[in-house]
Amino acid sequence: MDAYHVTVLSNIGMISLIALSAYLLLVCGEISFGQQAYFGIGAYISGIATAMWGWPLWSGMLAGGLIGASAAAFVGALTLRINGFYFSIATLAFAEMMRLLLYVFRYQVEIGGELVGPDGENGFHGIRWIFENDISTVEFMWIIYGVLASVVAGMMFMERSRLGRIFRMIGQDDMLARMQGVNVLLYKVLAALIAGFIAGVGGSLYAHSFTYIEPQFFNVMLGVHGLAYGLIGGLGVAFGPLVGVAIDIGFLEAIRWIQGYRMIAFGGLVAVMLIFWPRGIFDEKRWYSIRRCLRRMCGAETS
Amino acid sequence: MLELKGVTKRFGGVQAVNGLDISVAENEIFGLIGPNGSGKSTTVNLICGIYPVTAGEIVFNGKNLAGLPPHKRLRAGIARTFQNIRLFPNLTVWQNLLVARNSMEDVHSQSFLARWLGETRHTRGEIESILEFSDLADKADDLASNLAFGEQRRLELARAAAAKPRLLLLDEPAAGMNREEVQDLIHRVRGLRDSGITILLVEHVMQLVMNVTDRICVINFGQKIAQGTPDEIQNHSAVQEAYFGTTAGDPD
Repeated sequence: MDAYHVTVLSNIGMISLIALSAYLLLVCGEISFGQQAYFGIGAYISGIATAMWGWPLWSGMLAGGLIGASAAAFVGALTLRINGFYFSIATLAFAEMMRLLLYVFRYQVEIGGELVGPDGENGFHGIRWIFENDISTVEFMWIIYGVLASVVAGMMFMERSRLGRIFRMIGQDDMLARMQGVNVLLYKVLAALIAGFIAGVGGSLYAHSFTYIEPQFFNVMLGVHGLAYGLIGGLGVAFGPLVGVAIDIGFLEAIRWIQGYRMIAFGGLVAVMLIFWPRGIFDEKRWYSIRRCLRRMCGAETS
Repeated sequence: MLELKGVTKRFGGVQAVNGLDISVAENEIFGLIGPNGSGKSTTVNLICGIYPVTAGEIVFNGKNLAGLPPHKRLRAGIARTFQNIRLFPNLTVWQNLLVARNSMEDVHSQSFLARWLGETRHTRGEIESILEFSDLADKADDLASNLAFGEQRRLELARAAAAKPRLLLLDEPAAGMNREEVQDLIHRVRGLRDSGITILLVEHVMQLVMNVTDRICVINFGQKIAQGTPDEIQNHSAVQEAYFGTTAGDPD
């Protein structure tokens, strides 16, 4: 595997986390254009924790995830009372506000004779955890995939749980969910919190993989891609968004002649998908049929 | 058990419900009928908390429901069905009933895992018996959206019953049904009552209303115009004028 492929694969892994984060809210019927904010918060917080405070990666990642989760829950509690477009616009506004705040956020300390830390529009240099600990890019790629695998496994477990079913209930008919005794606002805020955590963890990995971050990385296009991956890959099962990421980055990036036109191909793909398969390749119905087939083939009897 | 005292609902200038007094007794099947636009569905929506009342109060089991959000009203024991069928289309029949059960506090949970998955042996047993009662046992693994119309109607009733309500609000459950299906529904509604559920039935289909209810309240323009047993109502002049006159010869 050469450096190029390692980079592409690492990107797929990290972007998958923001896609999963947007996916969870899509399952609850909410479109968030703001998940990049929690990705950015995770990146900055974990970068500060490892590069400036000397924390190990794991605690930095946890801190990034937790702060991302708290911010998402806070924003969710304020904005999830409003529905549909209004929520989407509010998330976008918050994310842009966060990004602009990062442009003026300066917090630096001197380490080994040079200033380290976020420096407004000049970005945040020197997140050197992987060099200091002698981790190669290939090894870091495996860390990324380890984290991604645990998140996907956790989400699949959640989907089979009471919590996951309540999320789907709300996404399919929130009025009916309310009539069936679900505190819809509470569960939506919970979904936003989990989504914020996942995005924050993704951002932490991103900061350490690139060793340099700047506010512009966390612009609205990142969030829009996150959303689109769920809508392409499918909203029926947690690996749907991963399929979306693989199609965009893996496939479109891989075909060399298409590279210059990648955004055009991607935009076209999203438009075509929204017309023909509005809930993605692995949507609820198709995933249901697939599971049914698999079960019949395996002869298992579980429901 | 359920009391509406001078309940009024205004939407802007429209007086949808006007000073309505209704009293439903424990384990009764109470019919609420009236011509189109007379305020029946609004009344149901007020009882389950979709809209707040403009004036008056709704008392359930001695407790004033004012300010109680819909999900808490379900936990207090009020469930409903919808005039236009509402199910979770992309969940299976089993899951539809499971989520209906799960939204209640389940005190019978055995282990953490069972509680997390929401499928305790106790809930499984309950859902199986609801499926049996609804003649949907062989459809348990089908998606709700793949069911036939009559099956969806039965599932909707089952879904409401799965929440183990004390009061069940049925909003036109016979809409679009043929004679045999209505007959079948009559048995189901009686069966639910026999299991201890009080029922408030809003309906157009006279075959159902006249056969199944204990008492009927007739409303028009949001006001009560008559109340009594099915026999009394059928012979009531104001009712015939307001209601039967407009739908004569069209039992469905």
